[in-house]
Amino acid sequence: MVGLLQIERLTRRFGGIVAVDGVSMEVAEGEVRAVIGPNGAGKSTLFNLITGIIKPSEGTVRFAGERLTGLPVPRICQRGIARTFQLTALFPEMTARENTRLAAQAREPWHWRFLGGSEMFASAGKRADLALERLGLTALADVPGGFLSHGDQRLLEIAMALAQSPRLLLLDEPTQGLSVEETAQAIETLAALLADGSLTVLLVEHDMEVVFRLADKITVLHRGAVIADGSPQAIRENSDVQRAYLGGLS
Amino acid sequence: MLTEALILGLFAMSLDLMVGYTRLFSFGHAAAFGFGAYASGWLLLHTQLPMLCAVPLAALLAGIVAIGVAWVCTQATGVSFSMLTLAFAQLLYAVAFKWTSVTGGSDGLAGIPRRGGPFGFDAFSSRTGFYYLVLIALAAALVFCWTLVRSPFGAVLRGIRENEAKTLALGYNTRLYKIAVVALAYLLGGLAGALYAPFAGFANTELVFWLFSGQVLIMVIVGGSGTLIGPILGAAFFLVVEHQLSNYTEAWALGFGLIFIAFVIFAPEGIWGLLTPRLGRAGPGTR
Repeated sequence: MVGLLQIERLTRRFGGIVAVDGVSMEVAEGEVRAVIGPNGAGKSTLFNLITGIIKPSEGTVRFAGERLTGLPVPRICQRGIARTFQLTALFPEMTARENTRLAAQAREPWHWRFLGGSEMFASAGKRADLALERLGLTALADVPGGFLSHGDQRLLEIAMALAQSPRLLLLDEPTQGLSVEETAQAIETLAALLADGSLTVLLVEHDMEVVFRLADKITVLHRGAVIADGSPQAIRENSDVQRAYLGGLS
Repeated sequence: MLTEALILGLFAMSLDLMVGYTRLFSFGHAAAFGFGAYASGWLLLHTQLPMLCAVPLAALLAGIVAIGVAWVCTQATGVSFSMLTLAFAQLLYAVAFKWTSVTGGSDGLAGIPRRGGPFGFDAFSSRTGFYYLVLIALAAALVFCWTLVRSPFGAVLRGIRENEAKTLALGYNTRLYKIAVVALAYLLGGLAGALYAPFAGFANTELVFWLFSGQVLIMVIVGGSGTLIGPILGAAFFLVVEHQLSNYTEAWALGFGLIFIAFVIFAPEGIWGLLTPRLGRAGPGTR
């Protein structure tokens, strides 16, 4: 099967440093794939390359058969790719519902109209409420984003991405900066979210527990290059990976 | 003076679309006012168009020119954006000064008539009539802006104000939104200027000068940015204070400067923020 997202020989250099070095990988429809690797392995750069925030030095990204490389950020997003950021990015003065509704609104036709639009707010609002509910944030819907706890902010950002009904969801370290209990809770919420297999997810993560719990497939990056690719079981047993990454932890 | 206050109120409100709702600080909003004033002045002096046609046409022209200006200015963000708006205003100032055949140079355009019509309708030509015309224009603009900031478009502007990078990542072409809001702000600012020319009977380079750009920014901040009524109050307040202080001293601007500083420190939400009880509006919070 041809992957929904196909990355071919993607390379990005910053001066003399090769941050992403000839990475090729695929994400199949319905798959949850994790990208792991030590700090500086190029994980976030990979995300920024996919979403167009930075342009690749070489290589291409295809999504549903269409070439994304070179398109501006909003156009790539409009194709159905939603993402969260490693450092939480939301609208601090808007309530959780308004945050999510603004995300949902981007998927409405005529989303730029400047007169009326109450029916659009209603339909975007409905999808926003649904997304909030799936992440267990309904009770906090009227709290401004800036007043939420860090853990809830991370979840809100995922709700915003979900409200866009994405074909591909990119999660950049969803448990980054969470306490042990918050992480455990976030894993449960995410596992429940992914249980029905309707979402295609590419996730960057540091925390091995999160990765082995959530991912169907794992790609291991080391110094910008792919050193392993396979099922969680295969990755756990791969000696290269143990040397480069897992071994370093124990 | 009431008419003048309403015109300046409209002008300040138009700037607040940029400053308060999108956090785009324009240091050259006098360009919109001046352009509108010169355009309507020229149309009234050199064509037979009635005032009711010349004024909207001048405002529309200001809005169209603004699309080009905004296209350039939005290449930059933050302070660079502000500097570019200032640069364009100064460019227009230079044009107004040098292109004597059209703008009258340093003399400006004088004797601009309040021409009645069409169809012999001239109720707005008198002083009182003109006051009502300005009042109607301001009310219409207020309703328009009120609808605008509560629309889906307004929601995106708010997103740009709070976190532009995230708004972009959500799939909004933020640059187009910014160009649109600058064009609308210039259109309404141009409308204010276009009304000013037949009100005062003249248009001169002072209306395009950077000092005026700064004054309108002060009106917005003192009145309460991020609101629509606030800047209108700010403009009225500015005029009253200018009028009162200039009775005592030529250095009235010094006094107003002190008032401005006091507002920024003690009442950053402006006059409107002081008048309306805190409506549970959330602070910026943490990120």
